[in-house]
Amino acid sequence: MAEMVVDVDSLVKEYGSLRAVDGISFELHEGEVFALLGPNGAGKTTTVEILECIRPLTSGSAKVFGYDVTKGEDVREIKKRIGVLPQDFSALDKLSVKENIDLIGRMYEKKLDTLEVIKLLDLEEKTKERFENLSGGLKQRVGVAAALVNNPQLVFLDEPTTGLDPRARREVWQVIENLKKLGKTVFLTSHYMEEAQVLADRIAIINRGKIAVVGSPQDLISRYGGLKTLVIRKGGKKLAKTLQDKYGGTSLNEDGDVFVKVDDVKEMWQALSTVTDISMLTDVYIDKEIEIQTPTIEDVFLKVVGGRITEEGELK
Amino acid sequence: MRRSLTIFTAVTKNWMRSRSGVFFSILFPIMLLLVFGVIFGGVGGPSTYSLFVQNLDRRPNGTPTELSNAFVEALNSTKTFSVTNVAVDADPRTYARDTLGPLGGSIRILIIPQGFQDDLLNGTLKVRVGISQGTLLTIYELSRPYLNETQRAAVEQGLTQMSQYNASIPDRSTSLTLVLDASDQSSGIVKSIVVSIANAFNYQLIGARAVVNFREESITVRQFRAVDFYVPGIISAFIMTNGIIAVTTNTTEFKRRGIIKRLSITPLGKIEWILGNVFSQTILNLMLTGIMIAVGWLVFNVQAIPDAFSFLLIFLGSAMFSGIGMLLSGLVRDVEAASAIGNAIAFPMMFLSGAYFPLEFMPDFVQSIAKVLPLTYFSEGLRSAMIYKYSEGIFTNMAIVSVLAMAFIVLGSLVTRWKEK
Repeated sequence: MAEMVVDVDSLVKEYGSLRAVDGISFELHEGEVFALLGPNGAGKTTTVEILECIRPLTSGSAKVFGYDVTKGEDVREIKKRIGVLPQDFSALDKLSVKENIDLIGRMYEKKLDTLEVIKLLDLEEKTKERFENLSGGLKQRVGVAAALVNNPQLVFLDEPTTGLDPRARREVWQVIENLKKLGKTVFLTSHYMEEAQVLADRIAIINRGKIAVVGSPQDLISRYGGLKTLVIRKGGKKLAKTLQDKYGGTSLNEDGDVFVKVDDVKEMWQALSTVTDISMLTDVYIDKEIEIQTPTIEDVFLKVVGGRITEEGELK
Repeated sequence: MRRSLTIFTAVTKNWMRSRSGVFFSILFPIMLLLVFGVIFGGVGGPSTYSLFVQNLDRRPNGTPTELSNAFVEALNSTKTFSVTNVAVDADPRTYARDTLGPLGGSIRILIIPQGFQDDLLNGTLKVRVGISQGTLLTIYELSRPYLNETQRAAVEQGLTQMSQYNASIPDRSTSLTLVLDASDQSSGIVKSIVVSIANAFNYQLIGARAVVNFREESITVRQFRAVDFYVPGIISAFIMTNGIIAVTTNTTEFKRRGIIKRLSITPLGKIEWILGNVFSQTILNLMLTGIMIAVGWLVFNVQAIPDAFSFLLIFLGSAMFSGIGMLLSGLVRDVEAASAIGNAIAFPMMFLSGAYFPLEFMPDFVQSIAKVLPLTYFSEGLRSAMIYKYSEGIFTNMAIVSVLAMAFIVLGSLVTRWKEK
């Protein structure tokens, strides 16, 4: 078993009468990528900031590398060992990429060579570029570089891809995958389902301050993701009714696509056979596009929270 | 200290690469110094007032009489007036208005009446004869007991003839006409100068001399001009605005963008952050001082010489105003509000503290307000150190600025949030 890096037990954070974090408990082990997944206002950033020692907790306990986040001397030890990419990371506009990374690096007793970190993040061409002239994706990479400059054992990435275009988002994912290859322990928060599923070794789904489920993506999908879905594009009402009568669990969307939930491979083949039979008899469905959808973390989220998260991070 | 120096380097570099920051911190004060120096600084020679003179006292051949001409010469000799002669047959008001044009300034006209010389001579003669008669009468009264009858009769006859002669001189006085614009703020000065010249003219003609004279002495060893007053004033005012407006705005902006939060996650401490900003402000303000002194010296030959006390005061002033900036940025959330509050505090303080204008010129209530403004003590201290070399002024103000600097730094650090709620 890998060494425990973060140990949170019954953590509570209240703002007046609002309980932002409501008695959550989880652990984070060395070398893993852990994602706290939830909509805006779920308590993700509050939790992360408590672990970063910049926000006091109300009750419960939170330890990082065995150090208590509430104790002054422990805080100094924690700060030496963590790297942070805060939500909406920003830096001094008129300073270059190197100067901004240097600025953070010089706050530590020991730091990596800035140019090495720049190379690691593939920012060599932008070394002398001012921060204000960078694209959103490059700015995030500078933020990750600043988070790595003190060679931390644990890296917090708070909503690292929020607001980025899909291409920039993929670039940041690549960076996070590289961190994993370097053996860093990564604590990621996100409201993007796909991001958590692709990057995380374990995911904790959080909503209204409470953790609903924790586990590996595969584990969560198998436990809460539900059945596979056979999709017949533009299948139409008639096919939907036939399949519903035969298998149940069939639905139809506005575009006329037919969705059939199937328990196992056998049932899937049966359903496909039905579609083929109808097609042969009527010569109507033969040209339809058929695909099989496996459940995702989005299905897990829908199951355990009872809603979906919009692109903006709101719960619907 | 190492971390403070890193913050100092980063914040200073960030500021120096910002065009608007450099403009408002350095170029704007220079522009203000040039404007103040040229307008109020007594630079470019003494000011002159335009004066139209219509001399109606002419001989039959049209040339001005000796005395009227002498009066105009006397006006010119003061070098206070730029005299324009108006023709005898011209309407002086119309002439002056046409000559000056719509933006030409205030109309000031002096009209010397016809018969000026005759009236002046008659009046002078009458006064002189009267004085002689009075003198003789006094001597006669004192020597009367020693004179015989014949001598007395001769003196009395002489006095009677003198009295008759004096009575035969026309009892006339002359009046100069001074036409002034009621809206002209210089009218009082112009009037008093013309009256002084007329009095001097009177004294000269009757042979009197002033009994009470004035001797001017300066309480300082060196002679100073108004521009010498402005240089430390403008420096101190902009050290104040750099501290209050720039620190408040920048810190609030850094806070809004999460830069301070990012730094607070590192081992950097709150006091180290504040010290870094104070160092940055000090360097900026020393640069401002150096450039202002250089411009003042090159353009106005200003004698503002900074010494060790000036540098210490600049450091203390930078700390004091940075402390105020930190305090304000800790109390407001958004940049717009920070900028508005910074301006609302800095601009009135700039004009009410005596940085630009001597407090003695201001109403009593303004002087009372000035006593509670930090800039009052800072500008007075800097002026004492750089210009007057007045040690009591330096030490008293430095002590006050030191106490205020400590107080504001402590308050600023108390409200600077290094940890979220």
